[in-house]
Amino acid sequence: METIKLSDTNQEEVITKSINTLNSGGLVVYPTETCYGIAADPTSKKAVEKLLKYKKKREGKAISVAVCDKKMAKEYVEINETAENIYNNYLPGPITVVSKSKGKVDKMVEAEDGTLGIRIPKYDIILKLIKKFGKPITATSANASYKKTPYTIKDILNNTSKRQQDLINLIIDAGKLLKNKPSTVINTTLNEIKILREGDVNLKSPKLLISKSERETKDLANSLLKNIDIGKKPIVFALQGELGTGKTQFAKGLAKSLGIEQNVRSPTFFLVREYDIKEKNIKLFHLDTYRMFKQEEFDDLGFKNMIEKPNIIVIEWAEKVSKILRETRDSVELIWIKLYYHEKNTRKIEYSDKIL
Amino acid sequence: MKILAVDTSCDETSASVCNNDMILSNIVSSQVDLHKKWRGVVPIIAKRAHQERIDPVIELALKRAKTKIEDIDVFAVTVGPGLAIALEVGIEKIKELSIKHKKTLVLVNHMEGHIYSNFTKNSKNNYFNNLKSIKFPLLCVLVSGGHTEIVLMKDHGKYELLGQTLDDAVGEAFDKIARPLMLGYPGGPIIEEFAKKGNSEKFKLPIPMQRRSDYNFSYSGLKTECFVRIKNLKKEFGENFHNIVPDFCASFQKTISDSLIFKVKKVIEKYKPKQLLLGGGVVVNNYIRKRFREEMKKLNIDFIAPNKKLCGDNAAMIGVCAYYKIIRKEFVKNIEKVDRLPNIEINQKVSY
Repeated sequence: METIKLSDTNQEEVITKSINTLNSGGLVVYPTETCYGIAADPTSKKAVEKLLKYKKKREGKAISVAVCDKKMAKEYVEINETAENIYNNYLPGPITVVSKSKGKVDKMVEAEDGTLGIRIPKYDIILKLIKKFGKPITATSANASYKKTPYTIKDILNNTSKRQQDLINLIIDAGKLLKNKPSTVINTTLNEIKILREGDVNLKSPKLLISKSERETKDLANSLLKNIDIGKKPIVFALQGELGTGKTQFAKGLAKSLGIEQNVRSPTFFLVREYDIKEKNIKLFHLDTYRMFKQEEFDDLGFKNMIEKPNIIVIEWAEKVSKILRETRDSVELIWIKLYYHEKNTRKIEYSDKIL
Repeated sequence: MKILAVDTSCDETSASVCNNDMILSNIVSSQVDLHKKWRGVVPIIAKRAHQERIDPVIELALKRAKTKIEDIDVFAVTVGPGLAIALEVGIEKIKELSIKHKKTLVLVNHMEGHIYSNFTKNSKNNYFNNLKSIKFPLLCVLVSGGHTEIVLMKDHGKYELLGQTLDDAVGEAFDKIARPLMLGYPGGPIIEEFAKKGNSEKFKLPIPMQRRSDYNFSYSGLKTECFVRIKNLKKEFGENFHNIVPDFCASFQKTISDSLIFKVKKVIEKYKPKQLLLGGGVVVNNYIRKRFREEMKKLNIDFIAPNKKLCGDNAAMIGVCAYYKIIRKEFVKNIEKVDRLPNIEINQKVSY
């Protein structure tokens, strides 16, 4: 293990030594605007294995990587509109942006869902180093798992064993770093318009309503429900519509129609809220599937247990789980509702008409 | 007295060992390397995720506290509010442990836990947030991903729910506004980051529910207003839209804070509390903290906020809350009957 104290005059030497170390599969401790990080070549299986050995118990945990600019990031991940926005506005800086990986780094670096976290450190010499290296370096903190976040080299050395330290090849010592908190991790893969569109259901000869108020949206829910024989089959209302088009208002209308006095709040955070109508032995489930990645997660949430008569299920962002909903079509009463922004604070609501 | 507490109310599996109101260990699953399947930044709120996590998380909590399970005096668990299928994993596990080890069981309301995150101490018996004393009546402002509530605390265990959100919680509102701004998920921390560089006076957004005399909140109107504005701004600014994102974030964050403070001031006028405390995941937001701190200073009311590490969902706050319940002898009488209460309100008594 070699330690170099970083100064104004030895930057070139530090960069060259670091690159040589990385190229030979070694580990380099380096400063960033948050804490000390530890670099390995993320495209080398051998180097990543060594890093995992150093970090201890980290097997199978995703490791983010540092790049020097958006151009380099684009070689390794798919940058969508959301990611583009963050790269353009905020980076370099303490934000790790999660995008879909292009599979150019070792599998152990990626998350299981095929995503990769990328950051651009706001630390000049490190950006130069990465640029010259020509590929990303790992951007995990230089402490072993569960140990103190390192802001000095001493923090690292005091909390690692001799065997761990022997794995480090080079330390770039920039003294005591400013105690900035570790980077904020932001996932950009949820906003994929593509995924939402894929699940979009086209209604054949839908009924149409222009709703002028939250109340009219609620009334529609009420009148739809009144026309269905509750108890014959489980009833599923599948709602599609942008933010603020009144999906939760529709659910509130259903609840009111069922005599639920409790206030129906957004299910976005908890994914599902359930309401009991004890005297009728009915349950109303209010779901929001926006945060779901895979349709299978919908089952994990207990959907199969919910679709029992006489339960009523109302799903926001149903296009995300449209495949599963289609599969259950025969065993449930499925009503699709599409809500759109319309002129002057009104909403256009389309709904499948087979029940009316 | 050693307490083992567990919280599985939503997407975090957490376990903690406390000695009275002192935290000995506090393990939250997202910080732990467990299994390749269960990591990543988007929470997978599945029963089996909690089931896979619960044993190793409890084991680690005991190990870090250097405590054997045989030495635990009381078991505590979150009974609600939260996601039913998640809650039941923690409850089943703790029921099993307290029956096996023949120890007392205490049930804790998750929102009450957020209040008690302010009353946690380190192993040297000092409050994490440098709290000097607790004075009642105390006004609690609980702001998290799934809740936004104003609660009057008259004494330990005595609450009156004065107001709450009718639709979106503040955390949800942040997440949703981040979508059209193309900022990714979760929305709270990134909006706060962007807001630092923005002008909060740039966009005048309507403060919701000002004309209503109650203490409730509603963010659906503000959400729609923001969404329509963002659409128009995108048209107006085209490629340069991103230049105004920091200003929009700052304006939005300010409006959310204004809406909270507007209602809280009304409550203060009527109920004259001696102290005000914040709790819940959104309270890590520095701007919101600062605004409350400044307002309370003007009103000469003690301001209390939890240590930032204890704002998010965690079991230590459940353990410390359980400690106060133990003092009041609020134990479970019939362990077998205990069931999750996903919609429980803070002032609702649990009788098992």
